[in-house]
Amino acid sequence: MLFAIDFFTRRLAQGAIIVVAIALLIFTLLRVVPGDPVRLMLGPMVSATVAEETAKELGLRDPIIVQFGRYIGQVLQGDFGRSFVRSAQGGSTGGSRGESTFDASNRAPVIDLIATTLPYSLLLAGLAFLISLAVALPLGIWAGLNAGKWPDRLALYLSSILVSLPNVWLGLVFIFLISAKAGWLPAIGYQNWTYAILPALVLAVELIPVIVRSVSVSVSSNLLEPYVSVGQIRGLTRRRMIIAHVLRNSSIPLLNLLGIQAVGLVLGALFVVEYLFNYPGIGLLMINAVFQRDFPIIQAIAIFSCAALVVVNILVDFASTTIDRRLQY
Amino acid sequence: MSQQAIVQPAPGKPAKHRSLGANIFLQAAGAGEFRIGAVIFVGVILLSIIAPTLLGLSATKFNVGLKFSPPFPVEGWVWPHFFGTDQLGRDLLVRSLIGLRNALMIGIASVIGMFVIGSAIGMVAGYVGGWTNLILMRITDAQMSIPVIILAITILGVTRPTPLTVILVFILAGWPGYARIARSATMSERRKEYVRAAKILGATDLRVLLVHIAPNILPPVAFVAVLDVARMMIFEAILGFIGIGIQPPTPTFGTIIADGTKYLLNAWWITTIPGLLLAVSLCSINLMGGALERSRNKILQGVS
Amino acid sequence: MSVGGTKILDVSGLSVDLVMSGGGRRPILHNVDLSVSHNEVLGIIGESGSGKTVLSRALVNWISPPLVAKGGKISYHGRNLFDLPPDEMQTLRGRKIAYIGSDPGSALDPTVPIGQQIIEKLRAVEPGISTSEARARVLRVLDAVRIPSPAQRFHEFPFQFSGGMMQRVLIVDALVTNPDLLVADNITQPLDVTVAAQILRLLRDLQRDFNTAIIFVSSALGVLNDIADNILVLADGRVVERQQTRSLIDKPEHNYTRNLIASLPRIWEAEPVTTAPAEVVDDSREVILSVRDVYRSYETKDRERLFAHKVVQAVRGVSFDVYKGDNLGIVGESGCGKSTLSRLLSRLEAPNRGQILFKGQDIAHLGSRKLLDLRRRFQLLLQDPYNAIPPHLSIGRTIAEPLRIHGGLSTKEIAEKVASTMNEVGLRTELTDKLPVGLSAGQRQRVNIARAMVLDPELLILDETLSALDQVEQGKLLDLFERLQNRHGITYVYISHDLSMVRRVCNRVAVMYLGRVAELAGNEATFFDPAHPYTRALLSAVPAIEHKPYDTTTYLLEGEPPDPIDIPPGCSFRTRCPFAFDRCATDDPMLMKRSGEDFAACHLVSAGHSAPMTMPAVNLRGP
Repeated sequence: MLFAIDFFTRRLAQGAIIVVAIALLIFTLLRVVPGDPVRLMLGPMVSATVAEETAKELGLRDPIIVQFGRYIGQVLQGDFGRSFVRSAQGGSTGGSRGESTFDASNRAPVIDLIATTLPYSLLLAGLAFLISLAVALPLGIWAGLNAGKWPDRLALYLSSILVSLPNVWLGLVFIFLISAKAGWLPAIGYQNWTYAILPALVLAVELIPVIVRSVSVSVSSNLLEPYVSVGQIRGLTRRRMIIAHVLRNSSIPLLNLLGIQAVGLVLGALFVVEYLFNYPGIGLLMINAVFQRDFPIIQAIAIFSCAALVVVNILVDFASTTIDRRLQY
Repeated sequence: MSQQAIVQPAPGKPAKHRSLGANIFLQAAGAGEFRIGAVIFVGVILLSIIAPTLLGLSATKFNVGLKFSPPFPVEGWVWPHFFGTDQLGRDLLVRSLIGLRNALMIGIASVIGMFVIGSAIGMVAGYVGGWTNLILMRITDAQMSIPVIILAITILGVTRPTPLTVILVFILAGWPGYARIARSATMSERRKEYVRAAKILGATDLRVLLVHIAPNILPPVAFVAVLDVARMMIFEAILGFIGIGIQPPTPTFGTIIADGTKYLLNAWWITTIPGLLLAVSLCSINLMGGALERSRNKILQGVS
Repeated sequence: MSVGGTKILDVSGLSVDLVMSGGGRRPILHNVDLSVSHNEVLGIIGESGSGKTVLSRALVNWISPPLVAKGGKISYHGRNLFDLPPDEMQTLRGRKIAYIGSDPGSALDPTVPIGQQIIEKLRAVEPGISTSEARARVLRVLDAVRIPSPAQRFHEFPFQFSGGMMQRVLIVDALVTNPDLLVADNITQPLDVTVAAQILRLLRDLQRDFNTAIIFVSSALGVLNDIADNILVLADGRVVERQQTRSLIDKPEHNYTRNLIASLPRIWEAEPVTTAPAEVVDDSREVILSVRDVYRSYETKDRERLFAHKVVQAVRGVSFDVYKGDNLGIVGESGCGKSTLSRLLSRLEAPNRGQILFKGQDIAHLGSRKLLDLRRRFQLLLQDPYNAIPPHLSIGRTIAEPLRIHGGLSTKEIAEKVASTMNEVGLRTELTDKLPVGLSAGQRQRVNIARAMVLDPELLILDETLSALDQVEQGKLLDLFERLQNRHGITYVYISHDLSMVRRVCNRVAVMYLGRVAELAGNEATFFDPAHPYTRALLSAVPAIEHKPYDTTTYLLEGEPPDPIDIPPGCSFRTRCPFAFDRCATDDPMLMKRSGEDFAACHLVSAGHSAPMTMPAVNLRGP
């Protein structure tokens, strides 16, 4: 119990520092690149004086560190700022309409945008995890228990092929074959949950080889641990040793993998896949924000995904120490 | 294994005098998957060198009269355009091969970069330990907490992408992984007796790192880096697809695939055929990398 | 003698082959016959490679590829185990025939509490037993093997147990089903001598209480002498001799056994063979190394308290002098601080307090140039011949490395120096360009020695340098050290747990306990008239075939050393000392002079008459 308090206090503090550092990095990056955000908000038509006034009003001429401090202050109160280009009603307004002044109140708050898109992304990611675990766990365990024999080879070839399929290409092939030609599943946009299946499949193809490899390696190496053969001399069956001990202990590397690699992978691939399928999740929001240079959205999503990774990591490490008490973090 | 351990090795068997790296490579080269991968890989490379000149084709030359010509076995294909042509009548085979060359170059250059930087930082962190270790590792933590794509999108989306910036972004995103591996390998190596012995002899820290530790830990890491070349090539294609990779007119897989999406229904080959070539090349790299990784694991775990 | 008892296990004509990767076969066991009767303890002695581990596993019918049984039968109460269906064998193996191996640390799943794992086994071999009944039984046996606070330790994980305690846990695991045969394969081998002696004593008691026949496999005849009724000698997969224990040692019949017994090192029946002066009387000799009140501790995370660290006190105020030409032995069991001391002496770490002076210079505060110069004259030889040599450099390059580091020689001079040093330590010059892969442990240790000798050091510290080698190779290297000492006048510090080796080569001995020197005395005084109860306990625990002046019933300790994190006040040895009295709980004894150059840290030395107990007189002459 004390250990848990100690663990979480320490790790959450470290995690907070990491998130702030990442936020500072992204924040700085977005402000040193060429391109004046004011122009993005107001469009090219307004006069230089108006633009300068707006910029001063919004604090965009202050030193970066001051701006960052203000931003963090707002974030701590749950305010991630407002989009530069999206109106509160939805849809994109912005520069092209050439308004003479910038009225912040009719721009959508970033937090609302994220709140509306997040559930879609969670559905997609959840589905992808479900599919890939359902396929990869049995395959990986089977390969690990038969290390060096044909199931192991099969798993190796299969994962080598799957990991070689670029997700953008695979997505297009799925759209073309499964949706456009065969008409089995819908693909573009979102109307009901079936729209999430194809993109989830693409994500799963990316996840499966990673999981298969990790599971088969850890199962086969755990199987070689002396306690497994000693257990059989002690009078326990091989079956019992595998189910009660080998699989249990193999779950630690799997947890680590799911925590660090898989969540990172899905977060990354999510953006591409959502863009590809025009799926209205947080990834599409991000990519459109990049095209429109909508900095508040980019910042907020970067901070969110970073924080998500940090939290997942902490939870995974805690679960690992609970399973194997030798581990210390 | 436990059974083998209790049986003494047969006496008088001459030991083979090879370095760790050579052992890993030779064992991997004996595996079927490595050979298949190597054959495909060499074939694709040869093709990309020979085919453009042999067929006398250019990657950028338009021929509007030949546009949307389908690939080889499909009816209506035109010699010598085996992969068909795109919306401007450019030959897709040559465009794909040049795209492959670029992707491979970017992949290799960025992996070398992240390997060198990551290993150097990781070895120092692992060897020196203490605060240096803590700070460097927290930096890698931070770096690893941003998905590669977000980092790439943020940087490349707001600057003008060139091959060099793409490589730099990949290095920036990839070095922490190598730093971690090098760090943990160094930490376990540092505790070994031969390192202690070298220090007792009076070797400086730099000498211990370069002469004693590096030759033992780097080859295994380098072999697994092969897998990362393939990963980086996929990332390169993704960036090109989103439109923040290397800019036209240089052909890359990403831009070719993205061009084809508009014509997916009537000219499906523009997207799918070049992607297939990419997938096959990646698969050959992954098969070799996978074999190397397995033989590394086997040798490092002492299973022979 | 229990020859008349019923035979439990009767093995006849057992042959086991190893199937090689090429398809060839190598015989591991050849036509082995043996039998064990009710209540008998049968010892099996064999050197490494004699096939004794394969035999002990074959006895529980555990022969798996690449090993195959070629012929023979193992009958258990008249039934041939080879003919039993697998599932019947499986339950018989856990229930009636138990097995304990030599590696207690890896025998159980590291992530599950030990109690739970023993219950798991109990329920697997005795279906129908209720959980609470199983639990009660496990706790009872945990108590019987004298594991302190069993109810609490029941829930602890394997890594929280020391080697000796873990071996007790495995004894519980084996005996909890009340087997009638226990196969113990080298179970005391990884343990410290006092702990191993405790386990042997425990096993003898349990054997009496549980009426279990034991097959005790070991590579040390001294261990079998302490426990076995009869001994069977296994050499190269064949049984060469079987006799009653005492008569085997006194009147071996087979040549192999005779040689084996003759080559065993003796402590009390042999004279030291060393070129160092036997007794130190004159203080005028040069002090080459002086350790003065050195402390070293480490911090580890405390899981029980918030943001706190525990301090492990590894070395707590050690002082001694090493004179030029001396052979000083530093002995002690694991956790006594000798490996920390070796790191401090070799200047890989600095002490928290105190000084280490080499020829009057404090090695902790040397600049890099001075330190480099010091390293030239002061070398350390490490324990593990396999890991101490870099695997990727050729042998010649490895030996040349120190010369390159210290510089000042041309390539040709280096090559000459390397060649002459290799010659001196007995390495063929053809090996110069070879990688160390495939060298034997002894050859590797010679490379290691050559690498240290190439710098012509004045002081050589040997940190368990010879413990990985067999008796013959160890003897050869001790001769080599002696020659080098004669020729170059080197001073040696042997850090070792091997008392018979220390008896043979050292003229002075420091006995360490829990980070302190408990006794520092000359060779004769250490082995024939030690003043500290711990030294006596160590000597009583040494497995030997000779008559021991210190018998285990009087001197052997109970329990294990206290945790170096939480050292009791007063004398740190009092918690295990059979002679402790009131004063020991409050006063921490310093190293006190007994006579001449002999010191001991014990109140019994100074307090002599006022102590309520005196140590019994020592019986040197034998019964």
